[in-house]
Amino acid sequence: MNTNTAEPSIKQVDLPRSDGADLNLKGVTKRFAEFIAVKDLDLMVPSGTFFALLGPSGCGKSTTLRMIAGLEAPSEGQISIGGKDVTALPSHQREVNTVFQSYALFPHMTVLENVAFGLKRKKDKQAMEKARAGLEMVELAHLANRRPEQLSGGQQQRVALARALVNRPQVLLLDEPLGALDMKLRRQMQMELKSIQTEVGLTFIHVTHDQEEAMTMADVVAVMNEGRIEQMGAPRDLYELPKTAFVANFLGKSNLMRGTVTGERDGLLEVAASGHKIVVAVDRAVQHEGEIVVGVRPEKLHLNREAPAEATGYNELSGEVIDVSFTGTTTEYLIEVAGIGRIGTFAQNRGQQSAEVGETVYLSWDSAHSFGLAGDELVDAGVDKT
Amino acid sequence: MSNTVMTKKGKIADLRSRDEIKAERRKERTGVYLVVPGLLLLLLFFAVPVMVLLSMSLYARPEGASIGEFVPALEFRNYATVLGSYWPDLLRSFGFALIATVLALLIGYPMAYLVAVRLRQHGLLQGILLVLLIAPFFSSFILRTQAWKQILADEGFVAQTMKFLAILPADGHLTATPFAVVAGLTYNFLPFMVLPIYANLGRLDTRLLEASGDLYAGPMTSFFRVTLPLSAPGVFAGTLLTFIPAAGDYVNAALLGNNRNTTMIGQVIDSRFFKVIDYPGAAALSFVLMLSILVLVTIYIRRFGTKELM
Repeated sequence: MNTNTAEPSIKQVDLPRSDGADLNLKGVTKRFAEFIAVKDLDLMVPSGTFFALLGPSGCGKSTTLRMIAGLEAPSEGQISIGGKDVTALPSHQREVNTVFQSYALFPHMTVLENVAFGLKRKKDKQAMEKARAGLEMVELAHLANRRPEQLSGGQQQRVALARALVNRPQVLLLDEPLGALDMKLRRQMQMELKSIQTEVGLTFIHVTHDQEEAMTMADVVAVMNEGRIEQMGAPRDLYELPKTAFVANFLGKSNLMRGTVTGERDGLLEVAASGHKIVVAVDRAVQHEGEIVVGVRPEKLHLNREAPAEATGYNELSGEVIDVSFTGTTTEYLIEVAGIGRIGTFAQNRGQQSAEVGETVYLSWDSAHSFGLAGDELVDAGVDKT
Repeated sequence: MSNTVMTKKGKIADLRSRDEIKAERRKERTGVYLVVPGLLLLLLFFAVPVMVLLSMSLYARPEGASIGEFVPALEFRNYATVLGSYWPDLLRSFGFALIATVLALLIGYPMAYLVAVRLRQHGLLQGILLVLLIAPFFSSFILRTQAWKQILADEGFVAQTMKFLAILPADGHLTATPFAVVAGLTYNFLPFMVLPIYANLGRLDTRLLEASGDLYAGPMTSFFRVTLPLSAPGVFAGTLLTFIPAAGDYVNAALLGNNRNTTMIGQVIDSRFFKVIDYPGAAALSFVLMLSILVLVTIYIRRFGTKELM
């Protein structure tokens, strides 16, 4: 093929901005024989949102995605896209495209034919031009005539992305599309995906088990566990104020301490935890009496080698360092606090001398950084045990 | 990876040690030894007979010779003679074989698809159907063809039903017709069509079908754009395995045909050889049959062949 003649046509086809469409799931349940993959799920994704479904394997996130794509039928409930009920529509009649985890590129077609496949099915007269423009967008125009097997994993991933994007679907589904890539390529593709989404303005539903990936890319993250959405919101909100132990542990790390509410003063809850007094803001706690779980993120803790002066509005604990690990930019500490358990924290390596194993250290944090969870929560829910 | 480098002086140096080179040579020799028995077998039972066949096809019958007496010669007229008399039977053979191959493909592909793709999650059922598919091989080819004669007989249930439905005239027959011969060929070579397609479809990645559905292709389009092209090597192997033996077959034509408008070239060779005792004629026809199949198959491979088979 002559690239010289192909060049001008690429320029003619611009990439129109599309606003995507709202996606609405109402009471969606999916049962497989004995197993319930998705339980009574309600979800509203406004158009143009980069939405991430985050959760561990088997939490139902991929099943949810497949139901939106029309590859699985929900056992109950309703799915609508752009206000139109699509629950009964087969996948080929839905204005939805998927970037599959396995890429699922057609091995008997060239890269260009793969990208043009959807456009040709829709009888688009400009199928080839749009497909070339799509390849241009993912910077693979020079490989248009190769077979997928001749491409690297990252390149195949981009072809899969282009193949879905060129159709300008109302909703673009991404099923762990970066799962097979190495770390460096992953980071690069995350940035690219995000900028492409901003550029084309489609509604993206991104399924992933990588919390960092979800937080970097998405406008809204829904954390899924056992077929339900645990919590949904902007990444920062989810991270700063988790409402369940699962979210606290799955999205980043948390130190969770069990205690009993002893009183309330100036909008602060006082919690007694094995002889220690911890304070948490009332509006940052899901439960205000009885036994509750108080949490704090490791980076919110200050590590002092000498007892700090009493400061109001600060929580203080002391304990013995049981593990120190140097990671380059930071040093991570594990501290055993009597009656509470192990608390993790880290300090930026700014030339200070690090605490040693066996040393007694003092931890403090702004009580505005505490969050309160329900007392019946398992403190290790959602912890990555591997 | 290359074992050689260009040295500064531009010479090619071998980076391997002497032991490595020895080991590699030993490996190469072992490979050659392993091929020897097969080559000998082919030489003895294929190459030599073909040469014998070729020379026999050029033998001549001397004046006043007794029956079955031929002398070595270069009698190329043998070819003209047999082709002149039997070209319609040769053409008919290829015609029947072609129809049988197409029918076997139309019947066999859905069977293979059902067992290999649709029943993928049902191991037991898949196994049973696969056994049923191979089961005919447990009884004799001749017996099975003979059974077809019974099935298609005038008083048989098929012919009776067809007559009742007026598809077949009251005085019509199913046996001793081209229909019966093609039906027999189709039936007998069906497993040769189904098995390669089955083996191929067994490896079909159904996620590709999901992807094609996701990309607005309905079930029919998905089949013709994705499934069928991907199973082309299986279809290719199946059609060859059906067409080649069907073209040379004479059992079906002999048992289910009528010897007038159903004669296949295999029957002619058989009668030339055993009844007429015209060894050069039979050899010439055999050779023509072999060559024509070779030419047809070569054209087919050139046109539709896939890398996997080359």
